[in-house]
Amino acid sequence: MKIRVKAFARFREILGSDLALDLSDGATMAAVLTTLRDRAGDEGDAIFDETGTLRTHVILMRNGRRVNRKELDTLVLADGDEVALFPPVAGG
Amino acid sequence: MLTERERARYARQLLLFGEEGQERLKRSKVFIAGAGGLGCPIALYLAVAGVGEIRLVDRDTVEQTNLNRQVLHWERDIGTPKAGSAEAKLREANPDIRVEALVATIDEANVRDLVGDADLIVDAMDNFPTRYLLNREALRSGVPLIHGAIRGFSGQATTIVPGRTACLECIFPEAPPAEVFPVVGTTPGIIGLIQANEAIKYITGTGDLLTDRLLLWDGLSATLETFAVERRPDCPACCEGVVS
Repeated sequence: MKIRVKAFARFREILGSDLALDLSDGATMAAVLTTLRDRAGDEGDAIFDETGTLRTHVILMRNGRRVNRKELDTLVLADGDEVALFPPVAGG
Repeated sequence: MLTERERARYARQLLLFGEEGQERLKRSKVFIAGAGGLGCPIALYLAVAGVGEIRLVDRDTVEQTNLNRQVLHWERDIGTPKAGSAEAKLREANPDIRVEALVATIDEANVRDLVGDADLIVDAMDNFPTRYLLNREALRSGVPLIHGAIRGFSGQATTIVPGRTACLECIFPEAPPAEVFPVVGTTPGIIGLIQANEAIKYITGTGDLLTDRLLLWDGLSATLETFAVERRPDCPACCEGVVS
């Protein structure tokens, strides 16, 4: 199945702005994140911490709705889903 | 009642929201937290729009490194408090409104007095701990909060109506890490004016606010998107004790 990933701001520079992932049916959000981590490689530090977990301040959305961190392993995606990933900013 | 002079000054926007809208602006009091990259354009545009009373708070003095983006502070202001520097420009831009600028660090002890009887809080801070404090004060007092933040070429904004919409801690449960952020002046210009635009709409009762929506601006790709956000049932700031 195809999953579209949209990354914003710094993440866009790391992952690309509009990414299409081809995942096996039944793939979870955790699987999407693993794929993105591999893709980001060394530049992934801004997105993932040293254990490979999505940094706590990063906002993750599926089809325009926020994803709860507790659901990463159980949330099964469907063909055509759109995942958005962005870092809140803090400057003024 | 508007004076003749005010009718002339605001003629072009009277065409948009009429004398009633303009009178609402004139009667309104807006608290702007910060006179930096966001605070400068917000304060300037609200001043020239005719917001009757602007209270501006900033603890810092003007430094050379501020001048690429903090457009109310000029070369001659280096070393002077940002509050005073901004106040002088705002008075000159619109002598018909009241401007009160204070040199203060917003903290738990003074936030209530600083917000005072304001109709609106505008977040022009540069750090999340103070933003969370403004959010808590907004929730306590029921005064809406217009959030904005920037980094580099990107920014975000949302409008929070206490008790009705997602609050800042619903949307950002974890603060982004503190850093010396890179920034080009156009970014706080764009986000600051989105915030000022929200303030004008809220006060005049015009249009649809950014409530329960997070706006994201990506200046490098020149894209602007909004995402739906919602109250978190377990939000420690706004949903404690609330049974849904």
